[in-house]
Amino acid sequence: MQDCCRFDKDRKQTGKLPLVFWGNTTTKKGGNMKKHKMMFFRILMSFVVVLSFATSIQAGEVYKLALSLAITGPTSDAGNPYAKGVEDYFRFVNDTKLLGEDKIECTIRDDQYNNDVTKRNFEDFLGQGIVLYLNYSTGSTMGLKRDFEEEKIPVIPASFHAGNLIDSNYIFLPIASYSEQIIGLAEYVAKNHKGDKAKVALFIHPSAFGRGPVEDLTKAVKAGLNIEVVEVVEHGQDLDNTAMLKRLKSKGVQYVLCQTVQSPVATMLKDANSIGYAAKSFGEADKITFMGAHYTGGNDLIALAGVAAENFFWTTSYRLTSEKSAGADAQLALAKKYGRDDKAANSHNYTNGIMVAQVATEVIKRVKENGQKVTRSSLYDELNQMNGAKAFEADTTVGPVTYSKTDHAGVDVLQLYRVDGSVFRSVGVPFSSEYIKKIK
Amino acid sequence: MSANRWLATGNYFTTYKEEQRIFFTHTDRLLFSFFLVCVFVWPLIFETNNTYMLVVDNILIAMIAVLGLNIVTGFAGLISIGHAAFVGVGAYTVASVSRVMGNDYIFLTHAWPLMILLSGFVGAGFGAMVGLPAFRLKHLYLAIATLSFQMIFQWTINFMEFFNQGQTIFIGRVFWFTGEVGRNEHYMFWYYVILIILVLMGFMVRNLLRTRFGRCLIAVRDNDRAADAMGMHPGLTKVYAFALAGFLAGVAGALHAYLYRGVGVESFTLKASITYLAMAIVGGLGTLNGSFWGPAAIQMLELQVEKIAEHAGDMLPASINLATALRPLAFGLVIVLFLMFEPRGIANWWRIVRSYFKLWPFRY
Repeated sequence: MQDCCRFDKDRKQTGKLPLVFWGNTTTKKGGNMKKHKMMFFRILMSFVVVLSFATSIQAGEVYKLALSLAITGPTSDAGNPYAKGVEDYFRFVNDTKLLGEDKIECTIRDDQYNNDVTKRNFEDFLGQGIVLYLNYSTGSTMGLKRDFEEEKIPVIPASFHAGNLIDSNYIFLPIASYSEQIIGLAEYVAKNHKGDKAKVALFIHPSAFGRGPVEDLTKAVKAGLNIEVVEVVEHGQDLDNTAMLKRLKSKGVQYVLCQTVQSPVATMLKDANSIGYAAKSFGEADKITFMGAHYTGGNDLIALAGVAAENFFWTTSYRLTSEKSAGADAQLALAKKYGRDDKAANSHNYTNGIMVAQVATEVIKRVKENGQKVTRSSLYDELNQMNGAKAFEADTTVGPVTYSKTDHAGVDVLQLYRVDGSVFRSVGVPFSSEYIKKIK
Repeated sequence: MSANRWLATGNYFTTYKEEQRIFFTHTDRLLFSFFLVCVFVWPLIFETNNTYMLVVDNILIAMIAVLGLNIVTGFAGLISIGHAAFVGVGAYTVASVSRVMGNDYIFLTHAWPLMILLSGFVGAGFGAMVGLPAFRLKHLYLAIATLSFQMIFQWTINFMEFFNQGQTIFIGRVFWFTGEVGRNEHYMFWYYVILIILVLMGFMVRNLLRTRFGRCLIAVRDNDRAADAMGMHPGLTKVYAFALAGFLAGVAGALHAYLYRGVGVESFTLKASITYLAMAIVGGLGTLNGSFWGPAAIQMLELQVEKIAEHAGDMLPASINLATALRPLAFGLVIVLFLMFEPRGIANWWRIVRSYFKLWPFRY
């Protein structure tokens, strides 16, 4: 009774209900009824208290992102470590509270390199309320371009195809396009080749991904790039490239620039070595020097080609774990923290995935710091401002990530690597293509 | 004929005409009408989303395509391993108009029913052309001829600049009486369009099987020499079968192009042809309702396995990537199991269920 009065007194004094009650509230007359009422009230108030605590614990927001990619099926050798990179970095962001109490929830789904499945996944992700989408293949990025425009959702694909940016406002390439990579390699050939105009052949994947840079390289040659493109070879699933190499040799080809994935390059390198066509150093006379863009190289190529990979020149904007750097150390630590094997940890596509996740995290962080709500629109605006003093130093790349309204290619510089002693080693300093600007 | 047209439990036919009826009892007709009303009404009652409707639309398109495959493989007994190419022909008919006239060309966006019909006829033309070897070839040899068409189709699309070398060719948004069909109503709109076409095609095939041509198909499948001796033309029957299959595939292809608002070669590869064949087998070759069961079963299976794989991926250690291999594994396993234990497909289960209820509560 006394306690009950205390409750009444408290209520009269503060005008609010006290949060905690204790003591017996039973009276002799109608005691049971009152007891039940008070019990109900206690339970209700306890529930309110627990709920308020729970709400304060989960005060942070959850930002939904999504990635659809080929974890199995064609190109999964690149997609698999890429997915791990994205997954691990977002786990790291959440575990270390890089965004404070806020969390990133990134749904990763396998589409087996099937555009119809990618489309379904994308529609599903939209239903989940994603604010940023990470896509993968060139085909699906090109195919979904219109949906991205209609939905006004920023997209960072794993495809560096320059065509992704045509008639598109919402696609942001992580690094320099395939065109820029191939033209960059061609410029390197033009500068360092001894003798007359260098004769070059292109060895490409029979898809939009492979064909991407062909037209741009042709434009660069017309704009004055001092090389001659002798032949464009669209490879099939050949197990032997000897005939093709002999044909190229008979046409005087000295350099083969590859825009494909590792396995066909490995086959070609092995054949070139077996018939003695592979150059031991850059531009060796009467031999062929092989060079390639991002998806042709990396440790997978060395694993596939073995010693035949020696002297293969490769360009990408990513730092490699074979060379000491802050980014490489952080990558290896991340892989170790989440139990990845050495193969994944040292894959440049693991780096690729980490970098994309880094950019996504950074842009969310910046939007938050601006005091804005994290939405598709605010993320898009912030990505477009990622330049100048606001350029993002990712550590995993050889240059800063920069985007603007007119430039949606992230890292604009490339690093040339060469296989030396079964390890990719840097050749020179990071560079950027001159002719890519001329043909734009 | 049974005196009771509602609950006939046996075969009381006294004329061929009676045997050829679409619905044997009034109950069948009533139930089918009720089912039709349900499939038309459910999206208005239940909450739907774009993903869900995209899956459903895809299943319906596959049903139209498998209807065609069932005519050529199920009813005429001619193995076709290039059915996705015929679907592709339909899709690329729409894409060609888009390529030449622009993706927002009025004929594409406003006269889309005509475009769908045109795609069907182009598909029929290619079907008849590919069917020509049927005059001379049979069994595996004919199957290889259809496989060749699949390969030629893929090669042509992949290497011809006109077809954008297999990259996506966009199709503009279509218009209806209410104006442009926007993103929000896109999948629902196409659900109804595809459903209406499917119902029409279903009835068309059902009626076709009641005609002389329908009986020719089955006769040629069972014994083409005997059919020849009885005055039928096995060669022409086979060509017609291919043309008809091509028509249905072409319509399915055009619908696919409009649904996805773009055409890319990846949707019409050999893998897709094998999937159509699997749908026909699982559904039940040579049965009309098998054409509906198969696509639904295979596509739902794929979705469910995908979900299981996702959960398994979450539970298994990160280093184990086997979870994602569950999909192709389950797909292969289902086909093998059906071929071994239920070669007549799901359609046979449907037959058993119907027989049970027809006789209920008696067992015999």
